Amino acid sequence: MSSIVEQELIPEAKKTIPRGWIFAGIIVVWAIIGKIMNGKYTLAVNLADQTKMSASINDWANHLGQNRQSNPFFVYFITPVREFISGLVDFIRSVISVPLAHSSIPMLGWLGIFAVIGFIVFITSNFRQSLFAMAMIFSVGALGLWTQSMDSLALVLTAAILSLIIGIPVGIWAGLSDRGLAVVTPILDLAQILPTLVYLAPVALFFLIGPAAATIATMIYTIPISIRLTAFGIRGVPKSPVEASVSMGTTKWQLLRHVQLPMASRTIVLGINQTTLAALSFAVIATLIGAPGLGDPVVQALVLRNVGDGAVAGLAVVLIAIMFDRSTSATLKKQGIYVPPSEKAIRNRRIGIGIFGAITVAAIVVSRQFKWAAFFPESINVSKPIADFADKFTSGAVDHFGFATTGLNTLITETILNPLESLLTGTPWFITSLAIVAISFLLGGARSAIVTTILLLAIVSTGLWQDTMVTFTQTIVATLLTMIIGVILGVWIGRSERADKVLRPFLDAGQVLPAFVYLIPMLGFFGPSRFTGIATGIIYSIPIVVKIVGQGIREVPVNMNEAAISAGSTKWQQITKVQLPAAKNSLLLATNQGLIFVLAVIVIGGFVGSGGLGYLVLVGQSKVEMTGKGLVAGLAILLLGVMIDRIAQYTVRRNSAPKQ
Amino acid sequence: MTSSHSAISVRNLWQVFGPNPENIIGSPDALLPRAELRAKTGNTAAVRDVSFDVAPGEVFVVMGLSGSGKSTLVRCLTRLIEPTSGSVVMDGEDVLQANGSRLRELRRTKFSMVFQNFGLLPHRRVIDNIAFALEINGVKKSERHARAQEVVELVGLRGFEQAYPEQLSGGMQQRVGLARALAVDPEVMFLDEPFSALDPLIRRDMQNEVIRLHKELGKTMIFITHDLDEAIKVGDRIGIMRDGAMVQIGTPEEIIANPADEYVADFTRDVPKSHVLTLRTIVRPQADGESVSGVSLDAKTIIRDATDAVVNAGGAVTVTDNGQSIGVITANDILRIVGSGASA
Ligand SMILES: Nc1ncnc2c1ncn2[C@@H]1O[C@H](COP(=O)(O)OP(=O)(O)OP(=O)(O)O)[C@@H](O)[C@H]1O
Ligand SMILES: [Mg+2]
Repeated sequence: MSSIVEQELIPEAKKTIPRGWIFAGIIVVWAIIGKIMNGKYTLAVNLADQTKMSASINDWANHLGQNRQSNPFFVYFITPVREFISGLVDFIRSVISVPLAHSSIPMLGWLGIFAVIGFIVFITSNFRQSLFAMAMIFSVGALGLWTQSMDSLALVLTAAILSLIIGIPVGIWAGLSDRGLAVVTPILDLAQILPTLVYLAPVALFFLIGPAAATIATMIYTIPISIRLTAFGIRGVPKSPVEASVSMGTTKWQLLRHVQLPMASRTIVLGINQTTLAALSFAVIATLIGAPGLGDPVVQALVLRNVGDGAVAGLAVVLIAIMFDRSTSATLKKQGIYVPPSEKAIRNRRIGIGIFGAITVAAIVVSRQFKWAAFFPESINVSKPIADFADKFTSGAVDHFGFATTGLNTLITETILNPLESLLTGTPWFITSLAIVAISFLLGGARSAIVTTILLLAIVSTGLWQDTMVTFTQTIVATLLTMIIGVILGVWIGRSERADKVLRPFLDAGQVLPAFVYLIPMLGFFGPSRFTGIATGIIYSIPIVVKIVGQGIREVPVNMNEAAISAGSTKWQQITKVQLPAAKNSLLLATNQGLIFVLAVIVIGGFVGSGGLGYLVLVGQSKVEMTGKGLVAGLAILLLGVMIDRIAQYTVRRNSAPKQ
Repeated sequence: MTSSHSAISVRNLWQVFGPNPENIIGSPDALLPRAELRAKTGNTAAVRDVSFDVAPGEVFVVMGLSGSGKSTLVRCLTRLIEPTSGSVVMDGEDVLQANGSRLRELRRTKFSMVFQNFGLLPHRRVIDNIAFALEINGVKKSERHARAQEVVELVGLRGFEQAYPEQLSGGMQQRVGLARALAVDPEVMFLDEPFSALDPLIRRDMQNEVIRLHKELGKTMIFITHDLDEAIKVGDRIGIMRDGAMVQIGTPEEIIANPADEYVADFTRDVPKSHVLTLRTIVRPQADGESVSGVSLDAKTIIRDATDAVVNAGGAVTVTDNGQSIGVITANDILRIVGSGASA
C-alpha cells in the first residue's frame, strides 16, 4: 500500500522543484528587463483612438448598414430570421407583458399569468413546487418589477424554446453518430470559453439592436448547452438495453424513441434546466443590445452605482432563477424513478389537475375583466424598504468594516495587482510575449508554446495589446485567489461529510445565479474598482472550483490515506503529501474551469471599473463611432480566452496522472 | 449431421477486431496465437474459423474461459457484431447475407436473445418489457398484452406484470428476460451467460426453469456459460472455445471421457465424472473366472445412478447395449471412477 504512495510522490517531487526554479527564473528576468525598458514598446492606445483594425471594421460596419436593404445575404437570410424571431418574442410579450393595441393590458392580466405559471409547474412537477413558483412570481411583483419580469420571461421562454428545438435534435445526432460528435465538439468547446459579453456586438451588427438580436445572442449562448447535455445523455444510455432492443429487431427510430430517449430523459431534462437558467442569465446582459426586461434596471443601477435599486432588480432575477431551477429540478427528480403510483394517487392527481385547471381558467377570465386582477396591485410594493436596506447594509458594512473591505482591496491591489499589471503592460510587448510563451512551454510543452505564440501575435495585431494585458492580469489574480479559497473549501468538503452538507446548498445556489447580479453587492462593498471585478469573478467561480476539488479529494483511494495515516503523518501532511497530489487531475481541471469562469466575469467588470477589454466592449455598445473598437475588443477577448484555455488544456494533458 | 437438417449451421466464421480485419484472414498472420497477432498488427481475432451445427430442438452449449470469444461468437450469429467472414445458415438462408430489413425481420421472428445483464428497459413495466418485441413489430396492444400474459404465466411471473424491473430481484429480472425472448415464439434462442449474475440458489432454479421450458417448448438453444456444471446440466452437446477457436465439440460424456487437449481436460477436472459418464465408458470384457450376477444394466445408464444396483448385485453386472451384452462392470470399477473425479 505504502508503495502506491511513494510511487505517486517521488516523481512528483523530482519534477516540480526544478520547474519551480525555472519559473521563478523567468519571472525574475522578465521583471528586470521590465524595469530597465519600462514604458517602451508597450503598444498603448488611448481610449478614444482607433486602431487600424477597428477603423476598418467601422468602415465595414457602415457599409453593412447601408447595404442592409440590397445585400441578398441580408434580404434572404438575416432579415427573415430577425423578423421571425422578433414576431415570436412580440407574440409572447403580447400575451404576458405588452398591452395589446386596443386595450391597456396584455392578453393575460397578472392574476391569469400567476395562475398559469402555477398550473404549468403543477403539471410538470408537483403542488409544492407550484406554490413555491407562485410565491416567487408574486414576490417579483411585490418588488415593483412585474412588467420587466414578464418581459424577461418572454425573452427567456422564446430563446429557451428555440434553443431546445434546435439543440435537442442536434444533440441527438451528436449522441448517436461519431461524425456528429466530431462536428459539434469544437463548436461546443469554443462556446464554453467564449465570455457572454463577446456575443453581443457581432449579433447586434447583423440583427440590429432589439429583442430579436437579444434573443438570437441568447440562443447562441444556450444552444450549445442543450446540445451538449442531450448528446451526453444519449451517450450515457447503458449498452445492454440498447443491444437487447437491437437484437429484437428495432429500427433506428424505434430504438431512439422507445429506448434511448426515455433512458436519456433525465439528462435531457437537466439540459432544459440548464438552458433555461443560462437564457435567464444571458437575458440580463442582453439588455445591452435591446433585451427588454430586468437587465435594464440592473445595468442602470450598475452605471449609476445605485446599490439599492440594483439589489431590488438583482433580487428579482434571483427569484426567477430559483423558480426555474426549483421547478425543473423537481421534474428532474421524477425522471428515472419507476414506481407505479397507487390508484388513489392517480385519482387525486386527476382531481387536482381538474380543480387547478378550472381555477386557472377562472383567473384568466377575471384577469381580463377587472382592473385589480389585470395590473399587479401597486399597494403591494416592498422595493423601497429592500433598496434602503441594501444601501444601509452595504454602507454600514463599509462604515464598520471599511478597514476590512478597503483594506482587502488595497492589499490585493498594491501587492499583486499593480505589480503584475505593470509587469505585463509596462514591459515591451515582445518581452512580455516571450515570457508568456516560455511559461506556456514550461507548463504545456512545445505545442502549447507554439499555439500561445500564434495567439499572442494575433492579439498584437488587433492593436489592443495593452487592454488585453490589463484584462489578463485581472484574470490571473482572480484565478489565483479563487484557487486558494477554492482548494481550501474543496479539501474541507472532500474530507468531511458534514462540511459538504453545509456548503453544498450554497454552491448549488451559487451556480444558478447569473454573474451579473454578483456585481451589485460587490460594488456596494468595494466601490468601482478593478478589485470589484476580481471579487465578483472569485465569488462566481468558487462554486465550480470547490465542487471539482471536493470531488477529486473524495475520489482519492481510501487505502492511500490509510497508508499515510498508519505511517504516522499528521493531518496537514496527509492533505499536502497524499490527497492533493493524488487529486492532481481535479486540481488542473478546476484551474481550467476557474480561469474560464473568471475571464467571463472580469470582462463584465467593465461596468464597475475593471477597465481593459470589457470596458471597450461596453463603450463600443454605447457609442456608434466606437463600434469597431468594441468588436475588436471582443475579438481580443476571444483570443485571450482561447489562449488561456489552450495553455490550461495542454498543461492538463501533459501533467495528468494516468487513470488508475 | 448435414447442414440441411440443422437449425443452425455455422461455417468458417471469423471475427477480427482492429484495423483492416479482412487482410488477416487467409494470411499467415491468422495462424498466430492471439497475443502475438495483437502485438504484430493490433488486431484481435475474437472468433477464429469456427464451424458447427446445431440440430433442431437441441441445446448447444458454448464454453470457454473469459475472453475466449463466446460472447463475440453469439453476437456474430445474430449480427449484433458483423462477422468478418464465414456463413451462418438458418433454414437454408445465410443470415450474414441478409440486408437491413431482412435482418430485422429475422430478429423479430426467428431468433431472440437473453443477456447476462438482462438488458431490460427500466422505464417500462414488466408486461411492456415482455411485449416490446411484439410492439416494435406492430402488434396491436390488446393482442400483444394477451401474448405477453401467456409467457408471464409460463415463466412464473404472474402478479408482477405491473411492476417495474428495478423492483424485482435479479432472478425475477432474468425471468423477464426469458419471457421477453419467448414472447415472439422464436425458432432459436441465444442465451449469453444468462445466469452468471445470479447467486447459486437462484441460478439452480433458473437452470431448472430453462430445462423445463426446453422440454415444454422444444426450442433450439445456443447457451453460453463458463460453468461446466451448468453446461452438463442443460446441454445436449458442448462446444469448448479457446482463444477464439472451437477446440472440441461433443456430448458432455464425450468431452469428459476424452478431452481433446490439456485445456479441455483442465476444464473438466473438477467435474464428478460419475455424474456424467455412462456405463459405456467403463465397461470391460469379463475376466476369466469372474462371477457374474444376474443383474444387467443398459450402457446409457449414468454411473452414479448405477451405483446402488452394482454394489448390491454381489458380483459383476452385465452391461447391455440394445439388449446385447457388451461386457461387465463391478463395484470396484465404479469406486475407481468415483475416487478419481473430485468429490462426488
Ligand atoms: N469491440 C471490441 N473491440 C476489440 N476487441 C474486442 C471487442 N469485443 C471483444 N473484444 C476482444 O475479443 C475477445 C473475446 O471477447 P468476448 O467478450 O467474446 O469473450 P467472452 O468469451 O465472452 O468472455 P467473458 O466470459 O468474459 O464474457 C477478448 O479478447 C476481447 O478483448
Ligand atoms: Mg461474454
